[in-house]
Amino acid sequence: MGVKIYVVDNGGQWTHREWRVLRELGVETKIIENTTPLETIDADALVLSGGALCVATEYQKLGRIGEYIDSGLPILAICVSHQYLAFHFGGRAGPAKVPEYGKTEIIIENQNDIFKGLPDRIVVWESHNDEIIELPQCFIVLAHSKNCKYQAIKHERRPIYGLQFHPEVEHTQYGREIFKNFIELVSR
Amino acid sequence: MDVESFVEKKIEEIRKIVGGKKAIAACSGGVDSTTAAMLVSKAIGGNLTCVFVDTGFMRKGEVEEVTRMLQSLGLPLKFVDAKQEFLEALKGVVDPEEKRRIIGEKFIRVLENVAEEVGAEYLVQGTIAPDWIESGGGLRDRIKTHHNVAGLPKEMKLKLVEPLKDLYKDEVREVARFLGIEWSERQPFPGPGLAIRIVGEVTQEKLEIVREANAIVEEEIEKAVERGEIEKPWQYFAVLLPVRSVGVHGDVRRYGYVIAIRVVYSVDGMTAEYAKLPHELLESISIRITNTLGKKVNRVVYDITHKPPGTIEWE
Repeated sequence: MGVKIYVVDNGGQWTHREWRVLRELGVETKIIENTTPLETIDADALVLSGGALCVATEYQKLGRIGEYIDSGLPILAICVSHQYLAFHFGGRAGPAKVPEYGKTEIIIENQNDIFKGLPDRIVVWESHNDEIIELPQCFIVLAHSKNCKYQAIKHERRPIYGLQFHPEVEHTQYGREIFKNFIELVSR
Repeated sequence: MDVESFVEKKIEEIRKIVGGKKAIAACSGGVDSTTAAMLVSKAIGGNLTCVFVDTGFMRKGEVEEVTRMLQSLGLPLKFVDAKQEFLEALKGVVDPEEKRRIIGEKFIRVLENVAEEVGAEYLVQGTIAPDWIESGGGLRDRIKTHHNVAGLPKEMKLKLVEPLKDLYKDEVREVARFLGIEWSERQPFPGPGLAIRIVGEVTQEKLEIVREANAIVEEEIEKAVERGEIEKPWQYFAVLLPVRSVGVHGDVRRYGYVIAIRVVYSVDGMTAEYAKLPHELLESISIRITNTLGKKVNRVVYDITHKPPGTIEWE
């Protein structure tokens, strides 16, 4: 049986790309609104999309994603949702000292889990004005870039992952592998 | 994607929606609108009429070329010359979003007239995913008003049929190849055409300049592709900037426009990388543009911005 991974839409430019990549990897998927009641979601895991919102001032517009994060389902949080993880677990997100747009190199510090089988440095595509400023203690850093300390994070006990960059776009190297690794985690 | 089952499913869906009613398809000669029209024609046959609107914003020789292409499909075709109407509507308009809205509305009004003539209730559009994604709505920010989505007037009589809405260009090309459309690899060209390749107000003079410069860019790039010097880019074109700079031509001062060249590689248009073209190629494009458009253009610049942060088009 295939796994079901739904994409929660926070208004990102690439929400639909996340849906496309999951679909192409053979996952049963659909895009759902971020206000969908948790009890009606019959997925095995969720991808939380990016979006133009500012976590510190507009978190209400992120609907119920806090409930989804606490639900116990495996979570892959991208861009604004990644920043929300910090906020949700008691850390802080705010304007980035150096916002990154387009091509950036990230350095992978920890190849476990979602970065399994990837080289130490990969070229990814970014599009963010804000970033995580203070990482909650329950998170481990998996990758950073020259200008951003928290490019990828993982909860120390739960299957919750955050990525500041965008694995779903064509120009990100190994983007598909990252999704495949997440799918494998979910299928376990 | 499984193209065959996609095509079967869409044909069935279209039949259910349109039934025995009539439809018109807005056809620009591009891959998206041609593919959409072909799908609908497979579903409803002779109840579909294709419409080509000459906005006056087409590229050099394109009106003739597209007419020939569309005729080769063997579908009923209507040609509307709306050049004057579009140009007049844009008089004095500088804001790119306003341009796009005006063009979107004009398209619909012209198409409504044709629909009335042929008794059509449905309008087929080649809308694809980036069009509605970038048009925004709800939580999604509007990056630009795509004429066929956010540029539609609030009040319109025609009901939309958009079979390619969930696809990106690379997937549409797969469908186009499956349907035997010969120009499945044609480079994207926006519906508002050259009107959004002139930054600022659109005038007849500027249209002629950008049209000529664009033809040179296309020709030089295509020759380089044929010679095997570069891979075929996703898009390659000229943009006329509303900036003038000083030049010297035969010991005479010139104060002319600036042409920006944009060449990018992409798969789906949602992210793009500027093309690292050989300098010899850029040089030959630059020399040809300034020699051909001597009195009007005396400076050529190359756009080295990825998407993001830039979009592919300038407006």
